Amino acid sequence: MIKLKRLRRDDSLGPLESVLFLDFIKGLTITMKNLLRKPITTQYPKEKITPPKRFRGKHGHFVYDGTEPPSLQAIQGFMSFEKGKSRCVACYMCQTACPMPTLFRIEAVQMPDGTKKVVRFDMNLLNCLFCGLCVDACPVECLTMSDIHEMAVYRRSQAVIHMDDMEKIGATNAKTVRELPDRIWRNDKERETLWGKVKWNF
Amino acid sequence: MNDMIFTAIVIAVKILVVLAVTLGLGAYLTWYERKFAGHLQARRGPTVVGPFGLLQPLADGLKLMTKAPILPKGIDTKLYYMAIMMALVPAIMLFAVVPFGPSFKIMGHEVKPIVANLNIAILYVFAMGSMAAYGTLFAGWASNSKYAFIGSLRKAALIVSYEVVLGFAALSVILLAGSMNVFDIVDSQIKSGIWYIVYQPISFVLFLFCLLAESGRVPFDIQEAEAELVTGYNVEYGGMKFGIFPLAEWYLNVLALCAIATVLYFGGWSGPHIFGPFSGFIWFLVKTFGLLFFVLWVHWTLPRYQAKDVVEFAWKYLLPISIVNLVATAFFVYFKG
Repeated sequence: MIKLKRLRRDDSLGPLESVLFLDFIKGLTITMKNLLRKPITTQYPKEKITPPKRFRGKHGHFVYDGTEPPSLQAIQGFMSFEKGKSRCVACYMCQTACPMPTLFRIEAVQMPDGTKKVVRFDMNLLNCLFCGLCVDACPVECLTMSDIHEMAVYRRSQAVIHMDDMEKIGATNAKTVRELPDRIWRNDKERETLWGKVKWNF
Repeated sequence: MNDMIFTAIVIAVKILVVLAVTLGLGAYLTWYERKFAGHLQARRGPTVVGPFGLLQPLADGLKLMTKAPILPKGIDTKLYYMAIMMALVPAIMLFAVVPFGPSFKIMGHEVKPIVANLNIAILYVFAMGSMAAYGTLFAGWASNSKYAFIGSLRKAALIVSYEVVLGFAALSVILLAGSMNVFDIVDSQIKSGIWYIVYQPISFVLFLFCLLAESGRVPFDIQEAEAELVTGYNVEYGGMKFGIFPLAEWYLNVLALCAIATVLYFGGWSGPHIFGPFSGFIWFLVKTFGLLFFVLWVHWTLPRYQAKDVVEFAWKYLLPISIVNLVATAFFVYFKG
């Protein structure tokens, strides 16, 4: 049961309050407290806050490196994978889950030995709303999201990311994010200096 | 003949020093205000240009001066340009009657650190304060813009109401001092050893309200009212033409009125002689900047009054209070002094 504390405030000030400007003084003390406090701003280009673990940033592909889940191990004989390249199986589940029909462009071909090879995996991030549904839909833990959030580009065409970009992200940023403990802030000390100590209500 | 040349040189030096100091100070007050406002809101203020952002005013000036001169359609060009000077000149002229310290001797001549030692200095301050309204009014009228015009009308209403209160508030101090000369006012405070704020706290609060209203500071900044009027009377000005208005009104006017308030209520340059020969000057600056600090502090804390409330407040509450205060002071001076 949540207990609400209700504050009542009279419309008119009391005689003492209005003569001595007590409400003015209250406001002035608040700003003076702020003046004596350390600035809480982050000087952005010089210092950056690390995004939380579950931050949904630029997409990446985890690569084929022996850490595959059982769902992929069962079918990897039918795929022509290379070590250190994307482990996408072109099942189109991400495209199906996506609320935006034109975001993904995925193509796969059949190799001479009968295996399947993904030749194209483009994402137009201008259409993306970073909901993360595609990541949830991926059955082989290939598609993922990293902590990269500075994605400004000079041309619209540069906003489309390709498979090789995503492989790179999957091998670097997304990999470090995956290995972090699952919590909001990587570094509690850094967080507490900015926003104060968290009190968990158990 | 020698005396005359000496006097001419002294006056020229005084004018040069006052102009250079006030204009330079006015520019650097922008830095001070931005830094102060930043820290009041737990931000940092300017930090990039120079150490602690100290070169920011120069960068701002350079930016404003290199802007393309754009004239809006349908303006009254003569008034449009004249308004800039009409705003700036009275603000600078206010410094003519500010005594920066006690009189001292150079080569056997007594020199007073004031440009014009008038015997009606306080009246002169009121006159120049009212003159500043013309700059605003002309700017609003000449701009051919409804926001600018509403802003300037509000400023006119404000000046008309608060000049009266300002006069009555300062009059009670003049009654106590028995003179309108700034040197006499300070000297009488030094002689009695008590600053007039002790005798006249109500008058000081009224003066402070008028100071905030005259210089367009919060909570009486209805003529600028960013949320309603964009930026009020100077909305159609650009580049350095725009830069002059805040410089004149927000910085020079406030600084001059703070200096006058220091003279009237805080005993001018009186204070213990702990800084050697420049003690008087330093005390004067300390008091003036303390008051300025308070004005900025109020500006960045309080919300704004409504336009109708501001004028109503002046006529219905401040004016009766100031008149009662004045009459009480008159009785006090008549029977005690």
